[in-house]
Amino acid sequence: MKPEQPFESNPNKEHIRRFVDQPLIEGWFQTTGRPLKYLGLPAWQMLDIVAWQRFLGRFTGIERAENQQHLMFLQANVRDLEHRLYALYGSFDHILLQGRDSYNKMPEWPYDLVNLDYFGGFIYADLSRPKAFKKLIENQAAYEQSFLLIVTQHLRDGDSLGEKDKFLTDLGSRLKGAVLDKRLYADIDKVVAWYRDAQIPDAARQGLYMNLFFREAGEAEHFKVTCRPGIVYTGTGNTSMIHFATDFIYEHSIAHRATSDQTLLEVIDLGLLEARDEQLSNKLLRQPKLGKPPRKRPAR
Amino acid sequence: MTDPATKPRPQSGEELVYAAAVLILSEDLYPRKLEIIREYIQNASDALDDFRPVAEVVEDHWEPVIKISIQGHSLLIFDTGTGMDAEDIPKLKRIAYSEKMLGEEAGYKGIGRLAGIAVADKLKISSTSYGDPKLHLFEFRAGDMREEISKNKRLGIQEPATLVINRHTSITTTDVDKESHYTLVEIRDIRDSCLDILEVDKLKEYIADIAPVEFAPDTEFQYGSLISQKLREHVPDYSPKAIYLATPTGERLRIYKPYINQMTLATPNFIEVQHPDRPQELMAYCWYATKGRDMLGRIRPAGKIFSVDGTDPEAKHRLAGLVYKLFGFSIGDRTLPQRTLWTVTLTRAQWFTGEIHLVDKTVLPTTDRSNFVENDSREKLYRQASAAISYKLNKEAQQISDDRQAFDTAEKVKKNLDQYQRRLSNQQIDRADLKTAREHIDRELERLKKRGGSCKDPDILRQIKDVSKVGNTVRQQLNDPQLLKKAKTLADIAAELKMTAKAQKVFEVVMETLQNYYTADKEEYYRVAAKIYSALRKKY
Repeated sequence: MKPEQPFESNPNKEHIRRFVDQPLIEGWFQTTGRPLKYLGLPAWQMLDIVAWQRFLGRFTGIERAENQQHLMFLQANVRDLEHRLYALYGSFDHILLQGRDSYNKMPEWPYDLVNLDYFGGFIYADLSRPKAFKKLIENQAAYEQSFLLIVTQHLRDGDSLGEKDKFLTDLGSRLKGAVLDKRLYADIDKVVAWYRDAQIPDAARQGLYMNLFFREAGEAEHFKVTCRPGIVYTGTGNTSMIHFATDFIYEHSIAHRATSDQTLLEVIDLGLLEARDEQLSNKLLRQPKLGKPPRKRPAR
Repeated sequence: MTDPATKPRPQSGEELVYAAAVLILSEDLYPRKLEIIREYIQNASDALDDFRPVAEVVEDHWEPVIKISIQGHSLLIFDTGTGMDAEDIPKLKRIAYSEKMLGEEAGYKGIGRLAGIAVADKLKISSTSYGDPKLHLFEFRAGDMREEISKNKRLGIQEPATLVINRHTSITTTDVDKESHYTLVEIRDIRDSCLDILEVDKLKEYIADIAPVEFAPDTEFQYGSLISQKLREHVPDYSPKAIYLATPTGERLRIYKPYINQMTLATPNFIEVQHPDRPQELMAYCWYATKGRDMLGRIRPAGKIFSVDGTDPEAKHRLAGLVYKLFGFSIGDRTLPQRTLWTVTLTRAQWFTGEIHLVDKTVLPTTDRSNFVENDSREKLYRQASAAISYKLNKEAQQISDDRQAFDTAEKVKKNLDQYQRRLSNQQIDRADLKTAREHIDRELERLKKRGGSCKDPDILRQIKDVSKVGNTVRQQLNDPQLLKKAKTLADIAAELKMTAKAQKVFEVVMETLQNYYTADKEEYYRVAAKIYSALRKKY
């Protein structure tokens, strides 16, 4: 259909969408051998869906603002996608936790691709968002369905609830419990202290926290989880954003929690990337690493 | 009569319309809630027609479509028509205001665009027109307005309609590509009591029946392109639209008129209804067809009420009768032409299905599209169409009936003759039955001749001729003793009944006497003899 609209897009976000997410989605599309079923918060412009539509089949779009949802319907029609759109009305957390939207409609579980690009942080007083994510993973597990989870959120959480501080304390103990070589304890303390340091941008803590949250929640539901470095970027209106893309592969043959191929140390060492000027860079932070340095190749 | 010049006039600024009028206007107009969808399809259709000349000028390679979809408790109607700009959008608040030209577009009364508030708590219309860089979103919070009006009524407060409408409507804008042009109507928060308008099958059937959609492709309906071509030639504004329905399960269906090959229609025909004052002009153009039936290897009119698949009689006969079409939209249901054009034999009117497309646009529909406004043009239409359509169809129905009965009789007679021929070839016909058989065949051939007298179908007439020939052959064959059942001799019967020699002699004398008596009518002798043998067998 001809009529198209100029959409407000952000070059950094656009870069991530095209050069980070799209290859991952295409990979999933090729692996599954069929159009991917999508659940997400595409906003009324549905930029993600429009960009990835050739890899997608039916998609569920959640929207909680009435007029925005109306515009989403409009956009779906303009883009000739209206028959593929299944719209849910309400907040993502509420729909996930209650299992239904405001019109009593349920998500069409399970999904291959979940893309949650939301306005806001992750940790709220009632912890409804982490609970909603856990519910999402539980639902996918109920259908034994592997999926790619893409999350973009505001970097504005801070740590008023002390959630991240508690997480870092626990992380230190967990890591010490997991290594046999006590000589590493010092390195662990160093890493935890680095993340605790108030001078370090919160993005670092948020990146680590989110990836370990996904890993923890996924493994508990029989998924092998592969995390990728969080990508920070400046979004529309100068907002600081962070983006994650995580694979959840369901392990059918196990009765206990899954053990991801990616180790805990590898996740910690992922660090952060930054999208700026249509490029990805890893120079934003130089965090201490726990993993072994790459072995030097012997000189010939 | 009051002289218009002396009629009381409202004082300047006096409010003459009160808020409750909006509700009355919207709710009471649509006893059948699905009619609301027609209003929006009509507006969308007009918008597509309006953009067509613009598209040619600006070389916009647009796809004129109307798309209907269901989401949650919302019904959505989208079109790629001319759209509305910043000037048009506020006019949505005006009740019964229309800039459409009478007789040039399907809608013209300016009421239909708010029809959605009769079934829903909210109405959202977003639109942009070519050259306008803004998308305008109009919102009508009808549920809140209804609640407020009821509350105020209890308190004895009556507010002017304008004030209340302004309070419960809003318009917002957002940037869009200035070359885009479309409109989306969302009938949102449809009330529980009206949710059946979201049922896909009902919607599909309704739209197929009332909207200006195309006939299904020839692979699905073999007469579609023929009828379309004729309509294009005779109905100047015939302009079917591409209407799609997105189902909640993710399918997108193109909606076509409800006719398909499986309904077995006989070849359609066409009638021109001429204007009484200007015979060179058409008032209407009609296509019609009957239910078909395979007769002699061809589908011919079946001569029965037009029926389609369905469980209850209403569903089976939903396409029985003709329907009026104005700008491609149905006016009234299929009983309207029967009520207005037929005076007798209403059942025969239901043998046909089809459409009467109005060419004369001075015939105006009523607001609810259930009939035409009473005026001189309507009377002319009814008079002319009655003469042209119902007279012709009644006559045609009679001929169909005659032809069909001739065919049925020929088939039945042929079946009976086949049976005789089979029995003859197996020597199963007793001499005793000869007379009855001959009489039966004569009666059948006579009946066939009579039916043939009123039949005009050359193929059926040929069939009658062939069957009559077979009848004569069978009559001849009945004379051939070689083909009849071998008769028992008197000695065989005597032996079978263990007659004494004396009894056998008596029996032979009696039978010979009878045979001599019936020399002139041997077949009667065989019949009497058979009765005697049967009586003897019973007795002994």
